[in-house]
Amino acid sequence: MVEALGNPLNLIIVALGVGFLLPLIERSSPALSRGLFNLTIIYQAVLPLLWLLWLVNGAAAQQIQTAGIAPPFSINLRLGLEEAFFVAGVNLASLLGAWYLGGLLRGRAAAMSVFLILSMGVDGMIMTRDLFNLFIFIEITAIATYGLLSLERNAATLTAGFKYIIATSLASTFFLLGVMLFYYLTGTLNIDGMREQIAQVQGPLGMVAMSLLVAGVVIELKPYPANGWGLDVYESAPTGIAAMVSVGVSAGALFALYKILPLIEPFLPALVVVAGTTFLASNIIGLKQNKVRRLLGYSSIAQVSLLALAMVLLTQLHREDAMPLVIGGLFLNHLLAKAGLFWLSGALQRNAVEDWRGLRANPLLLAILGLLLAALAGLPPFPGFWAKWELVMQLSAGGMVSWVALILVGSLLEAVYLFRWFGRAMSPGVQLTPAPAVAQLLPIVLAVLGLLAAGHYAADSLGLDTLWVLLPAYAGIALVSIDGLPTRPKGLITLAIVAYYAYRVVPVLEGLTGLFGLMLLGGGLLMTAAGLYRGDTRRGYYALLTMLLLSFGGLLQADTSLEFFLAWEFLTVSSYLLLCMGRDAAPYTLAYLIFSLAAAFLLLAGFGLAYAETQSIALADLANVKDGAAAVLGLLLLGFLTKAGALGVHVWLPGAYAEADDDFSAMLAAVLGKAAVFGLFLSVISLGLKGGGSDVVMYLLSWIGLLTAFFGALMAIFQEDLKKMLAYSSMGQVGYMVAALATGSHLGWVAAGYLAVNHLLFKGLLFLVAAGIILRVGQREMYKMGGLIHNMPVSFFGMLIAIIALSGVPPLTGFGGKWLMLNALLEKGWYWQTGLAFFASAVAFLYLFRMIHTVFLGQRKRIHKDLRDAPLALLIPQLLLVFVILALSVQPNWLVNPIAAIMASHLPQTLVMHGSLMQSGLGYWDGFLVINVVGAVFMVPLLMLLVLSRFMRVQRVKQFNIVFAAERPESPETTHYAYDFYSFYDRALGFLVLPRATAFWNGVAEWSHSMGTGLRIFYTGNGQTYALYILLYVVTLYFAVGGPS
Amino acid sequence: MQDWPVRIGYFLINLTIVGLYGMLLSGIVARTLAKVQGRIGIPVYQPFIDLLKNLGKRTAVSHGAMFYLGPVFRLAGGIGTLAFVPVLYGSEMFSNFNSAGDLLLAMYFMFFGQLGMAIGAGESGHPFSAIGVARGLGQMTAYEVPFALAIIAIVVQYGSLSINDIVAAQQGGILNWTLFTNPLAVIAAMIAFLGMTGYSPFDVTMAPNEIPIGPPTEYHSSYLAMMTMNRAVFAGAKLILFMDLFFGGATNLVELVIKTWAIYMVAVVVGAAFPRFRVDQSIRFFLRYPTLIGIAAIGYTQAVLLP
Amino acid sequence: MIELPLSTITLGTGFGLLLIGLWGMLVRKNIIRMVIGFSLIDTGIHMIMVSLGYIRGGTAPIIDAAVDRATALTAVVDPVPSALVLTAIVIGLGITAVMLAYAVQIHTHKKTLSIDDCTDSKW
Repeated sequence: MVEALGNPLNLIIVALGVGFLLPLIERSSPALSRGLFNLTIIYQAVLPLLWLLWLVNGAAAQQIQTAGIAPPFSINLRLGLEEAFFVAGVNLASLLGAWYLGGLLRGRAAAMSVFLILSMGVDGMIMTRDLFNLFIFIEITAIATYGLLSLERNAATLTAGFKYIIATSLASTFFLLGVMLFYYLTGTLNIDGMREQIAQVQGPLGMVAMSLLVAGVVIELKPYPANGWGLDVYESAPTGIAAMVSVGVSAGALFALYKILPLIEPFLPALVVVAGTTFLASNIIGLKQNKVRRLLGYSSIAQVSLLALAMVLLTQLHREDAMPLVIGGLFLNHLLAKAGLFWLSGALQRNAVEDWRGLRANPLLLAILGLLLAALAGLPPFPGFWAKWELVMQLSAGGMVSWVALILVGSLLEAVYLFRWFGRAMSPGVQLTPAPAVAQLLPIVLAVLGLLAAGHYAADSLGLDTLWVLLPAYAGIALVSIDGLPTRPKGLITLAIVAYYAYRVVPVLEGLTGLFGLMLLGGGLLMTAAGLYRGDTRRGYYALLTMLLLSFGGLLQADTSLEFFLAWEFLTVSSYLLLCMGRDAAPYTLAYLIFSLAAAFLLLAGFGLAYAETQSIALADLANVKDGAAAVLGLLLLGFLTKAGALGVHVWLPGAYAEADDDFSAMLAAVLGKAAVFGLFLSVISLGLKGGGSDVVMYLLSWIGLLTAFFGALMAIFQEDLKKMLAYSSMGQVGYMVAALATGSHLGWVAAGYLAVNHLLFKGLLFLVAAGIILRVGQREMYKMGGLIHNMPVSFFGMLIAIIALSGVPPLTGFGGKWLMLNALLEKGWYWQTGLAFFASAVAFLYLFRMIHTVFLGQRKRIHKDLRDAPLALLIPQLLLVFVILALSVQPNWLVNPIAAIMASHLPQTLVMHGSLMQSGLGYWDGFLVINVVGAVFMVPLLMLLVLSRFMRVQRVKQFNIVFAAERPESPETTHYAYDFYSFYDRALGFLVLPRATAFWNGVAEWSHSMGTGLRIFYTGNGQTYALYILLYVVTLYFAVGGPS
Repeated sequence: MQDWPVRIGYFLINLTIVGLYGMLLSGIVARTLAKVQGRIGIPVYQPFIDLLKNLGKRTAVSHGAMFYLGPVFRLAGGIGTLAFVPVLYGSEMFSNFNSAGDLLLAMYFMFFGQLGMAIGAGESGHPFSAIGVARGLGQMTAYEVPFALAIIAIVVQYGSLSINDIVAAQQGGILNWTLFTNPLAVIAAMIAFLGMTGYSPFDVTMAPNEIPIGPPTEYHSSYLAMMTMNRAVFAGAKLILFMDLFFGGATNLVELVIKTWAIYMVAVVVGAAFPRFRVDQSIRFFLRYPTLIGIAAIGYTQAVLLP
Repeated sequence: MIELPLSTITLGTGFGLLLIGLWGMLVRKNIIRMVIGFSLIDTGIHMIMVSLGYIRGGTAPIIDAAVDRATALTAVVDPVPSALVLTAIVIGLGITAVMLAYAVQIHTHKKTLSIDDCTDSKW
C-alpha cells in the first residue's frame, strides 16, 4: 500500500484520474468533489516532498518505466534529485495557489480538474525522459493553461489568452518538428538514447533539427522581444493563474531546456545571448512600468531568463556542482516570491503602483510586501541572495566578467522598480480597499516563511554558521513580535541586547576590527540610548535598529567575503528601512537604496574577481591577489566610496541624512558611515600596497578624497537646512579619511583612524545637538532660529566643543587629525592635494560659524522666548561625547598610541612617540603641552578682564540694546543676519557647486527610462505581430548559429 | 630644557616686547598713512594713550557669557600664536613654547582667536558683527590658499615643518633667504599677507573708515582694550612667523625690528595705494594669480630646487 | 520520367501546407482564419512526420514469414511516426477547439473577430 502510494508515477496518474472524475462527481456531490480535489492537490505536493527527502538522504534516483518495457521501446520518466526538487516546488506553489484561488475554483469542477491537470502537465514536463512525451506534456500544460485563463472572462483576459495560444501553439509546432527530425536522425525518442547518438545530428538537417528544438523551448521561456504575449497574460489574467504561469509553466519550460541542453551543444552561446538580452531588456523596460501585475511580468521574465542564463553558463563552465545552489536557490526564490507578490496584488486588488500608497497603515501587509520584494531583489537572508553570490563567484572564476556585469546591472535595475513600488507603499495615502481575508493571506505568509526557511537552508549548504550569521535578521524578526510594547521599553530591550552582544563580541576582536568594533558598536549604543528621548510610537524602529547594530558585529567578525557581503547587505536593508521611517524621507529613500545596492554590487564584483584569482573567499586571501589587484581594489573602493558618499556619488547623501529621523541621522552619519570607512581600510590594507596599478588607484583615491572634502565643505556653507549642512559636512570629513588612507603610509593610516574616531565623536555630538534643537524649535531652517544660547546653554556648549573639534583649531582633538593627515600627505609628496586639504579645512570654518551663529547667537525670535534646553535623555549622551573629546584633547596619546600600534602591524611605523611628543618625518606635535600652554595663555586675558570688569559686575542688557547706527531694530526676524549668509561666496565661487552630479544622475535615470520606452515599442499588443516576431526569432536563431552551413 | 618658571618668565618678556613693538607699529602705520593722504596724523604714541584710556574705563555692559569671553579668546589667540613661534633664532630665551608643535600648529592656532571672537561678537546680536565675521571668514578662506601653497613650497624646499629648521636653513648670508631661493613662494605668501593684515584693498571686513562694522561693533572699554592689545601681539606674531619663514629669521632684536617693520610696510604701502575690493572680488582675486603663483612655487621647488 | 516517391510527395505537400498555414496566421486578420491557418500548419506537420518514417518499397511493420527479424530494420516502414501522429492529431484538435472557443468568447465580448482589435493590453 505504502509502496503503491509512494510511486512517483502517481503524480501523473492520480491527477489525470481525479481530473477526469471531478466533473462527474460534481454532479452528485459538490462537497465530495471539492474534498477530493483538496486531497489530491495535497497528495501532489506531499509526494514529491517526501521523495525529495528520501533522495537527499541517499535514495537512488528513480527510473520509472511504463508498460513494463525498458526504454527506448517505452516512455520512461526520471525522478532524481533535481526533478524531485522542481516538482516539489511547482506542486507546492500549486497547493498554495489553489488555496489562494479558493473562491475562483470552488464549485467549478472543470476549473479544479484543469488546475490539477496543469500541475500534472508541468510535473510531466519535468520528469519525462522521452522527447515526444515532453511535447505531449507541453501541450497538456498549454491546454490546461488556456482553460484556466478563460476562468475570468473579460475582453482583456480573452484577447491576451488568445495571443498566448497563438504564440505557444506556434512554439510547440516548432518543437514537434524538431523532435521528429531528431528522431529521424537518431532513431530514438529517448533523450538519453539521443545523447549517445548525438554524432548523427549534424549537417544542414541537424542544424534545422536543433534550431527547431531550441526555438520550441526558448519561446516558451518568453525571450525578448518575442514575449509580448506572455506579458499580456501576466497583466490581465487572474492573479492566481498568472502566478501559476509565471512559476509553474516557466519551471516546466526551464527544466525542459535543462534536459535538452546536451542535445544542442552548438546553440549554447546563442542561448546565453538570448537569456542575457532578455534579462537586461526586461529589467530596463520594467523601469517604465506603473502597473504592478505587468511589472511582475517583466520581473518574472527577467528572473526566468536569469535562471536560464545561469544554467547555460554553468553548463558551459562544467560547474554542474554549483547548480543546486544557484539554480535551486534562484528557482525557489522566484517561485515563492513571485507567486506571493502576484497573490498579494490580487488579494489587495491594487494594480496601479500609485494605488499602493498608504499600505504602511497596515504593518502586516507592509511587512509581507517588503519581505517578498527583498527576496525578489536578491537580498539576504533569502535564497536568491546565496544563489546570486555563488553564481557571481562561479562566473568570475570562469572568467565571464562581462556576464557578471550584466547580471549585476540587471539586478540593480530590477531593484529600482521593485523598491519604487515599496516606496509607494511606504508613502502616506488613503487605505482604499478593505483588508483582505486571512484565508487569502495565509498562503502568502506561508510563501514568506518558505522563503526564510529556504534561505536558512541555503546558508547551511554553504557551510556557514547560519544561526550566527543570520542573527541580525532573526533578532529583527523576533523583536517585531514585541512591537506592541511602548517605545521606551523596546528601546531599552534593544540596548540590552546590543550591549550584551557587544560585551561578547568586542573583546574578542583585535587590531583594526577591535578599533572599529568599539566605534560601531559603542557609537551605535550611544546613539540608540540618545534615541530614548522619543516616546512616540515608532513601529518597527527598534527591531530594525537591532538588526542594524547586530550586522555591525557581523561585518567586524567576517572572515570570508561572503560573511562580509552578507552583513553589508543587512546593513543596507536595515538602514534603508530605518530611513523610510523619516516623516518626509520618501523622495530620498529610493536613491539611498539604489546607491547602496550599487555599492554592494561593486563589492560583489570585486570579491568575485578576487575569488577568480585565489579560489578562496577568505578575506585574508584578498592580500594574495596579484594580477588583478588594481581591478579588485578599484571595484572595492568604488563600492565603499559610494557608500561613504564620495564626490560624484554623493547625491543620495544629503537627502538621506537630512530626512532620516533625527536620532537616526546621528547613527547614519556618525556610526554607519564608519562601516564604509572600515571597508576602505580593509581593501586598502589588503590590496593598496601592491605597487603597479594599485599605486594608480591609490593616487586617484587621494584626489577623490580631497575633492570630496573640498566640495562637501563648499556645499555645506550654502545650506539653510541644519541637517543638510551637517550631512554635507559629513561627506567632506569622510573625504579626509579617504585621502589619508590613500597615502598608504603608517602615518596616513594613523591619521585615517584618528579622523574616523574624532568624526564619530563630534559628528555624533552635532547631530544630537541638532536633534534637540529640532525637537524644541520644530524647524530645520536655521535662519528661523537664533539666539538660542540663552535657552539651550548646554546644547550650545556641546556644539561649541564639536565645532572646535571639527575645525581643527588647537587645542581640541581636531588639530591632531589635521596634523597627522597633512604630515602624511606632505611626506607622501602629494603637495597639490595638501594645498586642497588646507583650502577645504578653511572653508569648513565658514559653515561652522554659520551654524553656531544662526542657531545659537544673534537675535532670538520672540516665539522662542520660553524654550527649554533639550531633554536630559539627549543631553547626557552629548555631555558624554563632550567629555570624551576633552579627555582626548588633553591626552591625544590615549588615542594615537593604540591606533599607531594597530597600524604598525600592517606597515613599518613612521610616527614616533616620545612621551607626549609625536614626531613624523617632517614635524612634531606635543598635544599635552599645547593644551597646557593654551590653557595657561587663556587664563591671562581672562583674569585681566575679570579684574577690569570688577569681577563681572557688568549689566546684562536686553536683546535690542545694540549700537544700531541711528536706527531702531524692528524685530528679530529683520535683525538676525542669517539667511543666505554667504551670498558673496556664492557670487565668487557658487559656480563650482551647481548640482552637476545630481543632474548627471538624473540624466542617467532619464536615459534608462527612455531606453525602456525605446525597448518596449515592440509590444504592439497585436497577436499577429507577436506571431511574426516568433517566426523571425526562430529564423534569426537558426542563422545566427550558423545557418545551413 | 630649563625649569618651567624660567620658560614662563622668558615668554612673558617676549610677550611684552612684541606687544609694545606691535603697538608702536600701529602708531607708525597710522602716521604713515596720514602722510600719504596729506594729513598730519596722530603722534606715534597715540595707540598707547588710547589703550590706557580704554583700560581705565569701566566695562558696564554684556550680552552674555560668550560675548564676555570673546575678547578673551581673541587675546588668548594672539598670545598663543606668539607662544608657538620662536622669536629669535638660536636663542633659548626667545624660543617660547615652540617645542609644543611645528608650523602647522602655529598656522591652525591663528584661527583660535578669530573663531572665539566671532562667536562672542555673534552673541551681541548685532547684525553688523555677523556680516563682518562672515566677510572676514570668507576672505580668510581665500588668502589661505596662496599662503598654504607657499608654506607647502618651503616645507618641500627645506624638508621640514619645524620653524627652527626652516630658519636654520636660511642662515649664512642674505642669498640663503627664502626670498631669494624661492621667490615665487614669497610672492604668493606676501600677497596672502596683504589679506591677513586687513589693510586696503582687503579691509571690507572691518571697513574701519566709514561704518562701525565688524566684530568689534558692540565691544567697548576694556573689551576694546584687549582687542587692541591683541592686534599688537597678533600682528607681531604673524610678522615674526613671516620673517622666520621667508626672510631668514632674526638672531637679535634689532634685526627683528628692521625685518618685521619692512614686511609690515609692504602691506601699508599697498594699502595706501589701492582702493577697496568687494569681498567676492577679493575672494576671486586670491584664488586667481596668487594661487597660480603658489602652484608655480611648488612646481618650481620640486623641479628646480630639489633634484 | 522520374517517378516521385510517395514519401517525397507527402513531404512536399506537408511543407506546402505548413507555409500556407503560416501565411494564414501571419497575414489574415480574421481570428477564425488564423485558426484555420493553424490547423493547416498542424496538418502539414503531421504529413511531414509520416513521410519521415516511410521507407521506399517497405512493407508493413509486422514480423512474419515475409519479413524476418534480421532484415526488419531495413525492410519495414518505421511504425513509430505513424503512431506519434495519432497523438499529435488529437492534441492539434484540442488546441484548435480551444482556439475556436476563445474566438467565440472574444466575439461575444468585443463584437469583433479582427486580431487588430485585440490589443487590450500592451507595454
